[in-house]
Amino acid sequence: MHAPFTRRIRAQILLPAGLLAVAAFASLAVFFPGTDAGAAGHTDASQIALNPSQVSTRACGTVNVKGVTGSVYNAGNPFKSTNRFCLNGHLISYGSHYITYTNPPKALVNAGRLLFAQTCSSCHGNEANGVGPTGEATIGPNLQGVGAATVDFWVSTGRMPAADPKAVEAERRATRLTPLQALELAAWVNSLDPAVPAVPTPHLEGANQSVGQDLFSLNCAACHTIEGTGDALAYGTNAPSLQVKNITAQQVVEAMRTGPANMPRFTGNLTDQQVADITSYVTGRLQHPVNPGGFSLGGVGPVAEGFVALLIGVGGLALICFWIGERS
Amino acid sequence: MTDITPTKRTRRQAMGPFGPVSKAIDELDDRLGVAKGGRVFLDKIFPDHWSFMLGEISLYSFVVLLATGVFLSLYYVPSAQQVVYHGTYKPLDGQWVSEAYRSTVNISFDVRGGLLIRQMHHWAADIFTGSIIVHMARIFFTGAFRKPRELNWTIGLTMLILAIFEGFIGYSLPDDLISGTGLRIGYSIAESIPFVGSYLVSFLWGGQFPGSGIIIPRFFIIHVLIIPLVLIGLLAAHLGLLVRQKHTQFAGEGRTEENVVGSPMFPTFMAKTTGFLFMVAAASALLGAFAQINPIWQFGSYDASKISYAVQPDWYMGWLDGALRIMPSWEFMGVGHTIPFEVLLPAVVFPGLIFTISYMWPMIERRYTGDNEIHHLLDRPRDRPKRTAAGAAMFSLLFTLFAASSTDVLANFFKVSLNATLWFFRIAVIVVPIIVGFVTYQLCKEMQGVHGIGRRKRAVIVRRSADGEYSTVPAAPRPDDEHTELMPEPVPDRIDIEPLSNGGARVPEPSPTGVRQVTR
Amino acid sequence: MTDVDHQPSRTRVPMPIAALSDPHMGDAARHPARVEKLIAVIFVLAAIFMGLFGAAYTQNWNPWVLGGTLGAGMFLLGFGLTAWGKYLMPQGPFVEERHSLASTPEERDAMAAALVERSAVVVKRRKLLGGLFALGAGIFGIVALFPLIRSLGPLPGDSLDTTSWRRGSLLVDSNGRPVQRETLVVGGVMTVYPRATVLVHAGPQPQITDEGQAVDQTILIRLSDENFVTQPGRETWAPAGYVAYSKLCTHLGCPVGLYEQELELLVCPCHQSMFNVRNGAVPQFGPAPRPLPQLPLMFNDDGFLVAQAPYDQPVGPGFYERS
Repeated sequence: MHAPFTRRIRAQILLPAGLLAVAAFASLAVFFPGTDAGAAGHTDASQIALNPSQVSTRACGTVNVKGVTGSVYNAGNPFKSTNRFCLNGHLISYGSHYITYTNPPKALVNAGRLLFAQTCSSCHGNEANGVGPTGEATIGPNLQGVGAATVDFWVSTGRMPAADPKAVEAERRATRLTPLQALELAAWVNSLDPAVPAVPTPHLEGANQSVGQDLFSLNCAACHTIEGTGDALAYGTNAPSLQVKNITAQQVVEAMRTGPANMPRFTGNLTDQQVADITSYVTGRLQHPVNPGGFSLGGVGPVAEGFVALLIGVGGLALICFWIGERS
Repeated sequence: MTDITPTKRTRRQAMGPFGPVSKAIDELDDRLGVAKGGRVFLDKIFPDHWSFMLGEISLYSFVVLLATGVFLSLYYVPSAQQVVYHGTYKPLDGQWVSEAYRSTVNISFDVRGGLLIRQMHHWAADIFTGSIIVHMARIFFTGAFRKPRELNWTIGLTMLILAIFEGFIGYSLPDDLISGTGLRIGYSIAESIPFVGSYLVSFLWGGQFPGSGIIIPRFFIIHVLIIPLVLIGLLAAHLGLLVRQKHTQFAGEGRTEENVVGSPMFPTFMAKTTGFLFMVAAASALLGAFAQINPIWQFGSYDASKISYAVQPDWYMGWLDGALRIMPSWEFMGVGHTIPFEVLLPAVVFPGLIFTISYMWPMIERRYTGDNEIHHLLDRPRDRPKRTAAGAAMFSLLFTLFAASSTDVLANFFKVSLNATLWFFRIAVIVVPIIVGFVTYQLCKEMQGVHGIGRRKRAVIVRRSADGEYSTVPAAPRPDDEHTELMPEPVPDRIDIEPLSNGGARVPEPSPTGVRQVTR
Repeated sequence: MTDVDHQPSRTRVPMPIAALSDPHMGDAARHPARVEKLIAVIFVLAAIFMGLFGAAYTQNWNPWVLGGTLGAGMFLLGFGLTAWGKYLMPQGPFVEERHSLASTPEERDAMAAALVERSAVVVKRRKLLGGLFALGAGIFGIVALFPLIRSLGPLPGDSLDTTSWRRGSLLVDSNGRPVQRETLVVGGVMTVYPRATVLVHAGPQPQITDEGQAVDQTILIRLSDENFVTQPGRETWAPAGYVAYSKLCTHLGCPVGLYEQELELLVCPCHQSMFNVRNGAVPQFGPAPRPLPQLPLMFNDDGFLVAQAPYDQPVGPGFYERS
């Protein structure tokens, strides 16, 4: 190696250290998706991005952008992002004031490869391309070019590895892999065919729940119901409940940006700010509904209310009649 | 009398034997002649059977509705004008909402006691319609609608229909996302009526949906004035007819077509029924306190392009929603016109048919049985198996349709396909009433055949004498069971197996008392 | 309690239920001490709860405290009163005779005679007057209907047949932003309106209603990256895979906002009609009778999506005049 000493230092020490730092922040963000870790990750990315020598639009050219393409709005698009950070031609992070999208560090790729071979390859193929060893299509779809956020969503919600690969839809359950392992898988899958969206970290401090409520009722309530209880959809599919307390803000953003399974992909029509507003409404309000009027009766509306009125109301009063009157 | 100083006693005597009460009655009677009729009224006899109080649930929940409704009307603003919400509930802060919606959210959060009253009003409405239906079921199955009470049956049915409309309109007034969707559906149902539909909705809504915003104030005045006024009038007629024709009663000892057996109006019935009024009000207050109903702040204001999944109307409209869901998509198009049968049949023709049959039922039954007599004694449902079976089939049909209005919730709960659930109900809505009707008919027949079914046998006490000999003694009759209970058959000492004759074992004949005679 | 039997000046009371010795009084009523105590306790509790309710109201406590105290107080009041009536007041069976409501045949005939004969006298002698009165009243009756049908609202006219979509109408979302080629990716969905009718809640004078939005709302789905053909004859309607359908369900007009991207189905949230978006939103399940009308699209010179033409048929549910 004939590079000057400083260059060598940069390549051999600073780069891995920086990547490790990003990885640490990213895993912190997964473990603690609340305000502290998110804010830290956000400042970190923007501070580094301020260094003009490291910002290069061309350097991000290797990124395959077939996942989320450009749009007029700041909507998870690296080319339209204000806080973009590239290093050695690799897109490290991008996003806006409201959401920072971070690609998992390269250091995790090898671990991801091993993990994928153990837990995922039987359904998605050894190269995650949906092709089995003999060239036939596997049960699972091609994962190349889906972006890191997609992998992170499916694994971190426990939907993958699938409990029943033949089920109509994988359902949320306790995760079998750690958040770091999810990132490892995302790193490896993304390294095969780099794409966006990267793993998002929402910053909900400035988010407006009222705007979120408005957008939720226009875009989301048609499937998830206005109270977020979820319901059965066509042909055995279903919209999951959003009231489950351990759904993180990060997963909500990932779902909107990647459109898992039958959920539509919300990209150019919702800005990062709007996504953060919706996310804030989901995690801040739907998961913690205001029920000053007593028990919420499951939030499934008038049918439950009708049963209560008939069984407890009319039924109870009829029992009182039974006490008052004669019975023969 | 020598004592001319007016003492308390003499003053009282001057008023009459009962002091000020006599005085008041004298004064009133001089002008209105109330004493004779009033006395008869105080002596009026009400039968004590518990099922005769079901109608009182409706009556008293209506009282609760009037009281809470007056409270709500002091704060509710019937206007579709768009305003900005800046209230207590932060997730709506800054949104453009209708004034009706804003005022309803304000009632829920900012008016003292407002949420409680709002929830009491809604629960009382659900109880109101529910108890009307239960009350009518009692009337139907016991044949209380027969001559001379056909008119009161008609009035009651009219009040039920008005109550359903009143409930739907009241449900629509907050102008939240769920009720607005219901209103949209109501608009489209009215629009589907041939010839007049599109004119009707345009006049009512002031244009194409959602119209000029006039629908909210119109619904408001219908909800708070017109329908309640008609309901009060019909209620007065309903109770007036009850007083004039006197209450029906079940057959029993000393009860004939010519008398009424029960408790007097004053004080016994008055005390019980006033107490019951308080308990009905308490039921809606307790439900309003502990069970949240229609949390409109979570729904947001209505916007025609917003929608929530799993929207249902209140339960008394649920059967119509269920019928709409399971109806196949039969639409007639041709000769320049469209007749949307997929809406018209389940939402207009079907309820029309149900209510027409209900209105006509006394006439239908009279035609069918040729019975034109006056009845004051009620039927036991089992003694009229055909009527009972028809009623049970009808109720099971309505209940199946009600269940069909939540196909999505059921599919989600039981983890089955939505499409399969819908097909299940398409079949069930035909099969269930047939099965229920048939089974009810057979059950009635079976119960008819056994006298004294449902009554208790008198208990038997087993005694052991000092010598160690056991003997049985019938226990004293229970107070409720006098005269009608079954007498226990003596325990047989031994059972002889009859010699096989005619090629089979002898089957014991059922006795007229319903107790099997065992030959010993 | 005064015993009414001791008042010779008045008529005897046939139903002497005001005496404790009356046989109609139950056991509890003849020995009322225990029951009385119990009811007294209930009434005291009721008074306490009512007082608590008053305190809760003045202190503006939680709704459930308000309702709980009010409900408990009212229930105890009612319970005590009913128990009073049930246990301490005279119980049946009392018997009241039912008298026939029917009049005698003579009385019926007399009424019929009065009706027929008197009206015959009046009408026969004054046929013209009766006719004129009927004429006036009849005309009034007809005229009285006019406000009902002519001032309540406008005639429907062709308002049910048309929308605000015109050739060149710009597609915008609920925030008024137009749609570009890159706005949606495949599997994306959004609700769009023609620009003129969008209600952007920012102006000082917002519209009273969102009538335009209600009728014009259109759902925009990106089905592929290339031009997409849903049906023969609609070759140019979906540039760059953007397909637009009316968002009004043809069943009852609910917004068909439920899109399942893998099944490529639009589902109506109200009654679960399912429309296949690949073949022109033909209903394949549920009660909806007709496909959702498709809006032909194109990109304008600035690269924004606009309507090629208005809807070729009325949107929303069926009605009689719909041809």
